[in-house]
Amino acid sequence: MSLEEPRPPTESDVGVTAEGDLDYDELADLLGDHVVDREQHVNAEGFVIRPDEVEAVLSTLRDEAGFDHCSCVTAQEYQDRYESIYHLKKYDDPTQELSVVVPTPRDNPVSQSGAGVFDTAEWHEREAYDLVGVEYEDHPDLRRILLPETWQGHPLSLDYNQDQPQIVPLREHANPMEKRTKVPDDPDTMFVNIGPHHPATHGVLHVKTTLDGEQIADIDPDIGYLHRCEEQMCQQGTYRHQIMPYPDRWDYISAGLLNEWAYARAAEDLADIDVPEYAQVIRTMSAEFSRIAAHLLAVATFALDIYGDFTAIFMYGIRDREVIQNILEDLTGQRLMFNYFRLGGVAWDLPEPREEFFEQIRDFLDEWPERLEEYHNLLTSNELFQLRVVDTGVLPPEEAKSYGATGPVARGSGIDYDLRRDDPYGYYDELEWDVITDDGCDNFSRAVVRLKEMEQSARIIEQCVDLLEDWPEDEREIQSNVPRTLRPDPDKEIYRAVEGAKGELGIYIRSDGTDKPARFKIRSPCFCNLQTLPVMAEGEYVPDMIAALGSLDIVLGEVDR
Amino acid sequence: MTLPEAIAGVLPIGGVAGEIVAAVIGAAIIGTIMLTNTAVAGPWAKRKITAAFTDRIAVNRVGPFGLLIIVADAVRLLSKELIVPEGVDRPAWDLAPMVLASSALLGFAVIPMGSIFGVNMQLADPETGLAFVFAIASVASLGLVMAGYASNNKYSFLGGLRAVAQNLAYEIPLVLTGLSVVIFAGTLQTSEIVAAQSETLVSLGGLAIPSWFAFVNPFAFVLFVLANLAEVGRNPFDIPEAPTEIVAGYQTEYSSVYFVLIYLGEFVHIFLGGAIIATIFLGGPAGPVLPGFIWFLIKIWAVFLFTQWARSAVPRVRIDQLIEIGWKGMLVLAFANLVLTAVIVGVIA
Amino acid sequence: MLGVLKSMATTMKHALDGNTFTVEYPEEEPEVSPRFRGVHKFSQERCIWCRQCEKVCPNDTIQIVTDDQRNGEQYNLHIGQCIYCRLCEEVCPVDAIILTQNFEFVADTKDEFAYNMEELKNVPWYKDIDPLESREPDRGAWIGEGEGEVDYQ
Repeated sequence: MSLEEPRPPTESDVGVTAEGDLDYDELADLLGDHVVDREQHVNAEGFVIRPDEVEAVLSTLRDEAGFDHCSCVTAQEYQDRYESIYHLKKYDDPTQELSVVVPTPRDNPVSQSGAGVFDTAEWHEREAYDLVGVEYEDHPDLRRILLPETWQGHPLSLDYNQDQPQIVPLREHANPMEKRTKVPDDPDTMFVNIGPHHPATHGVLHVKTTLDGEQIADIDPDIGYLHRCEEQMCQQGTYRHQIMPYPDRWDYISAGLLNEWAYARAAEDLADIDVPEYAQVIRTMSAEFSRIAAHLLAVATFALDIYGDFTAIFMYGIRDREVIQNILEDLTGQRLMFNYFRLGGVAWDLPEPREEFFEQIRDFLDEWPERLEEYHNLLTSNELFQLRVVDTGVLPPEEAKSYGATGPVARGSGIDYDLRRDDPYGYYDELEWDVITDDGCDNFSRAVVRLKEMEQSARIIEQCVDLLEDWPEDEREIQSNVPRTLRPDPDKEIYRAVEGAKGELGIYIRSDGTDKPARFKIRSPCFCNLQTLPVMAEGEYVPDMIAALGSLDIVLGEVDR
Repeated sequence: MTLPEAIAGVLPIGGVAGEIVAAVIGAAIIGTIMLTNTAVAGPWAKRKITAAFTDRIAVNRVGPFGLLIIVADAVRLLSKELIVPEGVDRPAWDLAPMVLASSALLGFAVIPMGSIFGVNMQLADPETGLAFVFAIASVASLGLVMAGYASNNKYSFLGGLRAVAQNLAYEIPLVLTGLSVVIFAGTLQTSEIVAAQSETLVSLGGLAIPSWFAFVNPFAFVLFVLANLAEVGRNPFDIPEAPTEIVAGYQTEYSSVYFVLIYLGEFVHIFLGGAIIATIFLGGPAGPVLPGFIWFLIKIWAVFLFTQWARSAVPRVRIDQLIEIGWKGMLVLAFANLVLTAVIVGVIA
Repeated sequence: MLGVLKSMATTMKHALDGNTFTVEYPEEEPEVSPRFRGVHKFSQERCIWCRQCEKVCPNDTIQIVTDDQRNGEQYNLHIGQCIYCRLCEEVCPVDAIILTQNFEFVADTKDEFAYNMEELKNVPWYKDIDPLESREPDRGAWIGEGEGEVDYQ
């Protein structure tokens, strides 16, 4: 594929060897005494630091070593300590990874906040506080994020008592309603709850909005209405079988295969499982179908937000999805909740008769340019649409990076970041396709990026079909040999990400020698992308806020998990 | 001879009492016809039209072509509980739906709808007919504001504010464009305006093109149709409702009968807009072969179809853009059109 | 304004071509793929009560009761709670539990969805499609056996 040449290391890139690999010793030297200990994770090395030096370490790594992407913050509790892990990456080359491990004592789990360095850490740390119970000093707004404010205890901590009443009535809660609504002192503003029941919040999202006339003075997304303890559910399932059905339910609008791949990739790398090439091609093809379906819905609902609820575009989007869902149903046996990938391969080979199946895909591909043309006619070339979305909801690239935005949101802000190319997996690096970016930074460019990406996905699918058609019959291996019960070695840690429909979908797994993960953390792209909403919306009009929300393409199932 | 006069002629009662009874009967007939149209348009035609644009089938289970859905919907809506939210401003909240529905219906009083079976379907033909229509149609804005303010809901409030801003911005260009027609016809009387359009403009190979003002001054026609979209609150100018932004705007808190009234009022308003366009630009009930009244209905349905078509493909503009288009664009163009028309009329006369 | 007109032309084209993509269900039945995973069918004759399906089920939908001789007494499956992942069919060594393509099921209360052995046995084969043929061609289903009718209404 059109892999860009790795960027030649420059002077400023401390810790990068001439081959473009990370030199962890040099990085450790850079940090000097901050590094207390060094750990080996499967994906990167982990530097253990003292809990009161987080900000210093993170800002050194960002400013001097070029780690500008705080991908995820994982918190977990061990028998003897709490631990927060900052998974750092570079937007230029996401294969250069580094974990910053911050242990805190059990009796006083206080750690310095990284939110001053990476804006994205704000929500991640709130989640860590909410679910695990690590407290972050100097955090701008440390309160629960997924669970109700009156929740008792931290459900992912080891001593959590599941039998206790988990929510107490507000009157018994320590500070009822405190900080709940920031009622503005300014008599010129008006507080409006947009959601959780609202036609345009794409699910149960609650946006606390302060309006000045029609303009947004202050905005605060309130999430967690769809929290289903997905992480905990995965921790209670076996690697081999029981986890795989659940990724379908994170981003449930038919992006399921992409989510499954995120888990499959992490677990396969953790347990050293090889995937046959034939299965990789099938995975690549079906995942791109998922991506088209997901992007179609994103564009269609975006149109719904802009055009009003009688627009034809939404139905056209649904109609085209129908074709894709039929193909995926023939392949995987389900229209949304596929459960098709297995560790080490896929569940089934292509359906017989293969010719018919290929023909079905070819028919779709033949019609696809015409369909896309229709969307361009209806959306991008429509002047009134341009009037509405060009230069609204602006997300500057620096802000996008600081908030950890990925996927079409980042690429719509001109950030050239696509894990399919930058951190290749599956069969992507053998195929010919382009990463789409747009420098507009506005709602319009995010929609355009999605439309163009669908075109590229179709290209990938076409090449996969060519490959599959000519694949020799005796080499069609769909599944490698994987033991029936999988027990990865104890205390292996891995963070692996794939390019999901909405962006970087990462999975952190820590094994403890049993057949179930000890810690399973999901880095949801929607969760990080949603954080940028205040940047886009503040100062804009209500309709532009709705448009910005639509262009972010959030799925609350993935935001809340 | 207007409809009430025709009825008075056959009534056994004479004098003022007879005129009043005849007027009531006439009004009832016109009102019923218009409400029937609305009933067909709201629950059935709108669904069918939207479905056609979106490649769907739409209602087809109840009755032939799903037509009985009208009855089913009416029963469903009327049998729902009328929820009165806490803190609403009672008289205003109750009055708003009635104002909305009745103001739109009242406008039809002076519209010349042509004749059918030899009866002229016009209720009254005052000399200031056009002024009356515009005045009555804008009373609807009052209803929107009342609904918005009285509902004690922030979304309704925003919707009410938007409705005022929008109607102010578009009422003036609308009336000004209508005025250019008045300059042409030299009268405000609706029947006279229709009559002024009956002459032949040009003859193309034996096909006589009538001098409908849409043909005489297409610029004014386009301007008027656009301003009318804003006036009736349809895409791209449906921002007082804007379901994806402010839930349902001024009608958020209404349910049951009141909702039906608002809904009715909206559709009657679209038809009234269509009737005004038909009267002052499309030669009113004029048309070949079919009776005038049928042609009139065809024309107002065509305008209704156009609003639905716009809904399928035209995005909603933002409130500030709308105001800008209204005050900086449409108003200027409307004045330009007025001057242009005055010049044309001056040259011709 | 050209773009706006082009949009309107596009939707009008769709309105005039008369094609629809929705169908009149239930008169016109949707085409169900042979791999589709629907309601389960269970064969008591085949089952060896190894409990693998119960163990693999991700959300404890299957409940098996055996006596102390490991003879099966009950096999309960809540088809309303099931997530249709097909793992039970995948691990079953004797193909005793198979997901048919039946996708239509209704009940007055959710408790009625808790199917017991008899109800699971009576789930009809969908249009005589052999569910295993397209999923695992090397394993044969027992189509035709255990034919039964469930009154879904």
